[in-house]
Amino acid sequence: MADEKRGSLSGLTESEAKEFHGIFVTSFIIFTVIAIVAHVLVWQWRPWL
Amino acid sequence: MWRIWLLFDPRRALIALFTFLFVLALLIHFILLSTDRFNWLGGHAAPSAAAQHMSTLPDPAAKP
Repeated sequence: MADEKRGSLSGLTESEAKEFHGIFVTSFIIFTVIAIVAHVLVWQWRPWL
Repeated sequence: MWRIWLLFDPRRALIALFTFLFVLALLIHFILLSTDRFNWLGGHAAPSAAAQHMSTLPDPAAKP
């Protein structure tokens, strides 16, 4: 498509999108690890099943 | 997968995501606070999930 040459819908270039995606994935993994640890602690406190 | 950020503006997506997660967290915490078993501020003893099965056990206070 000719649009890819002139820019994306969000206005980001491919390199910018890749850079942001790396930060996003890293942050998501950290968030998920913290959530898993919190759930393990709560399960040890009072299991819900 | 990174191409999603060519479609969605990261700033708006992050604001939407953080807002959603905050509201969800607030909802879950208040739901838990409203229960007896998972209220961590109430000061009540935890009603065990197996308490109803314990009723068939002999009551130690009833023994002489």
